[in-house]
Amino acid sequence: MKNPGAAESRRLVGLLEDALVREARLWKVPVFKTGCTQGADISPSQHQDVILWLGEMSRLFHFCPETFALGVCILNRLLSAVKAQLKYLKCIAFTSLILAAKINEEDEVIGSVKDLVVQSGCNFSTAEILRMERIILDKLHWDLYTATPVDFIHIFHALLVSGHPHLIPSIGLGSGVGWGSAAGPGFLPGCPGHQNRPPGLQVALWTRQVQHCMACHQLWQFKGSTLALAIITLELEALTPDWFSVFTDLLKKAQVESTEFIHCKEMVDKYLTSLEFSLPANAVYIVDGAQIQEEERAWSPARRLRQRGREGEGDSDEYYDGFRCLYKEEMSPEAGECDGEGAFDAQKDVSPCPPLHPAVN
Amino acid sequence: WFHTLQVRRLRVQRGRSNSDPLGGNSFEQDFQWKTGLQFGTANSYLNLEKLGEGAYATVYKGISRINGHLVALKVIRMKTEEGVPFTAIREASLLKGLKHANIVLLHDIIHTRESLTFVFEYVQTDLAQYMTQHPGGLHSYNVRIFMFQLLRGLSYIHGRRILHRDLKPQNLLISYLGELKLADFGLARSKSIPSQTYSSEVVTLWYRPPDVLLGSTDYSTALDIWGAGCIFIEMLQGAPAFPGEADVFEQLQKIWAVLGVPTEESWPGVSELPNYKPEWFLPSEPQQFRTVWKRLAQLPYKTEDLAQRTLMAMPRDRISAQDALQHPYFNTLPPPIMQLRDTVSIFKVPGVRLETEVRDIFSPSRRIKPSLVPLAKCW
Repeated sequence: MKNPGAAESRRLVGLLEDALVREARLWKVPVFKTGCTQGADISPSQHQDVILWLGEMSRLFHFCPETFALGVCILNRLLSAVKAQLKYLKCIAFTSLILAAKINEEDEVIGSVKDLVVQSGCNFSTAEILRMERIILDKLHWDLYTATPVDFIHIFHALLVSGHPHLIPSIGLGSGVGWGSAAGPGFLPGCPGHQNRPPGLQVALWTRQVQHCMACHQLWQFKGSTLALAIITLELEALTPDWFSVFTDLLKKAQVESTEFIHCKEMVDKYLTSLEFSLPANAVYIVDGAQIQEEERAWSPARRLRQRGREGEGDSDEYYDGFRCLYKEEMSPEAGECDGEGAFDAQKDVSPCPPLHPAVN
Repeated sequence: WFHTLQVRRLRVQRGRSNSDPLGGNSFEQDFQWKTGLQFGTANSYLNLEKLGEGAYATVYKGISRINGHLVALKVIRMKTEEGVPFTAIREASLLKGLKHANIVLLHDIIHTRESLTFVFEYVQTDLAQYMTQHPGGLHSYNVRIFMFQLLRGLSYIHGRRILHRDLKPQNLLISYLGELKLADFGLARSKSIPSQTYSSEVVTLWYRPPDVLLGSTDYSTALDIWGAGCIFIEMLQGAPAFPGEADVFEQLQKIWAVLGVPTEESWPGVSELPNYKPEWFLPSEPQQFRTVWKRLAQLPYKTEDLAQRTLMAMPRDRISAQDALQHPYFNTLPPPIMQLRDTVSIFKVPGVRLETEVRDIFSPSRRIKPSLVPLAKCW
């Protein structure tokens, strides 16, 4: 039972293939090489800002990372499908997130559209949101299930755990992997006997990293699968001398083209490093940090690539809900030293829209 | 969705001929199919009759003016303040990505400011009605092909990280050929690998697994497998496997009466689940399935074995849909059935056909041969 074996691995490969098919079917480069969103008067930085804002909203509403990622995918797909005006950008983004939540979140988490609007501090009317909802559903032909970068993080992580458990001991078994088959390693509903294994620390960090990358317009040219693999490879490189064979295995399974992959990996590395060393004045950080202590699901800046693996290993969190604790656990050691995060402690109860709100209005 | 009694009465008159798209009438003679009509607009469909009413929608039988196909029109109630209900968004966007012979086909969506209608392929009946029409348990061969198709559909969606979460006979549509199709994906959800907590108010009580009844919110594909197991017993036995009448606790008692009260040894961690009661000590020994459900005693052991593997108390022990398809219970089906492409019906395999049920409340004296039903393959 503990060794899921070939069947589990086959199942995960199937999962990956299915996700790749969905991605290939629905993914479009959201921006042209020239930098401008198709035909619209929305600049990459405005687009980027609205994604960051969406991240805040997602945390504010206690949505899970998958919901945020799906919301961004919906937004990007819409922007590549229609010529959108800047004045509607925020409403489009907000509605994309609501649609993602309707798909992904339990209904008790979603809350009413009206409440969400009030919480967001924006002045949309419900009617506007509903009209936008209809437009988005129509333009995207109701075909909203796409494979997001966050999905790929989870799938690759599961493949690593099932295929190379020895590589990253802190991933351990039971990090929420084999959700599907009855014999899967992490599939232990209501089975507290196994709950004291360490949860997937890496996967939580990778998730946050990939969320950061989704907001970086230079990285939009890459598919979610490529992006996710780049993040994971950066980690593997640091963790194990054995990374190359593992990586090539994943690369092959993910059908990612290698020159593009290398390009992506370099850019991700640069971007994550820049986040690491950026000053509090960096807008990315401020917007990000304003809420980070407030929300359990907050992402922390991607940082300390090379130390991560060893942190928080001893935590014996609950299974999947361990995610929430995880974020908290990680936050504390980082908060003190990290740029901006700690500084915003005092803002716990500030209005949903932080003062240094991106200029999207 | 469920269909009303009225529909069943109609079936008395028409028998199985209602699977004929034109109801035996030469509709075509006085009706010209409009060529200029488009998908996505309401006037492309004619409403024929109301089929039933569900929690968030009303279902009508209709006919497409574009191609003459019979359709099921699911008219979704819209809340003015909330926009499109999440159930509708999940159902439509999930079904968009699912193309499988055992999943109901979504043809079209008509979305206006005031209303939302999903246009599905028309399927003649559902398993609940079918079992009502053929009481006392179904033909064992038909049980096998229904069960195979149910598991085939589940294996397909589970492989795509989707849980149905609301399996019950009413949600399994049955075509006149015997094709089974999973329907009503309103509660289904695509599930990421690290599970979020699920709300426990999901599955109809009778088909709800003990772990969920006990308050675990950590469930997974095993949830649907339990439901499939319950439906398996119900098809064989002609009565629900665990027909609890009152609440969660009565439902659990029904289950314990068969499986025995779980202990920490048999199910590590069970006592920590929210609804677990230490005072459960009543007739706590596990029963043999064949003594509880007599039909199993009349059938080869592998039938009981499959039932047992789907109805394991601890979710982790439950067989997966994929493995269940390989179970010896299905060995008697023609081997090509295992190699079909997703979108191909098992009835394309030579030798697979619905057997005539022994009992039929609508024609007690006469046996209907399904093979005599006119062919109308287009849906």
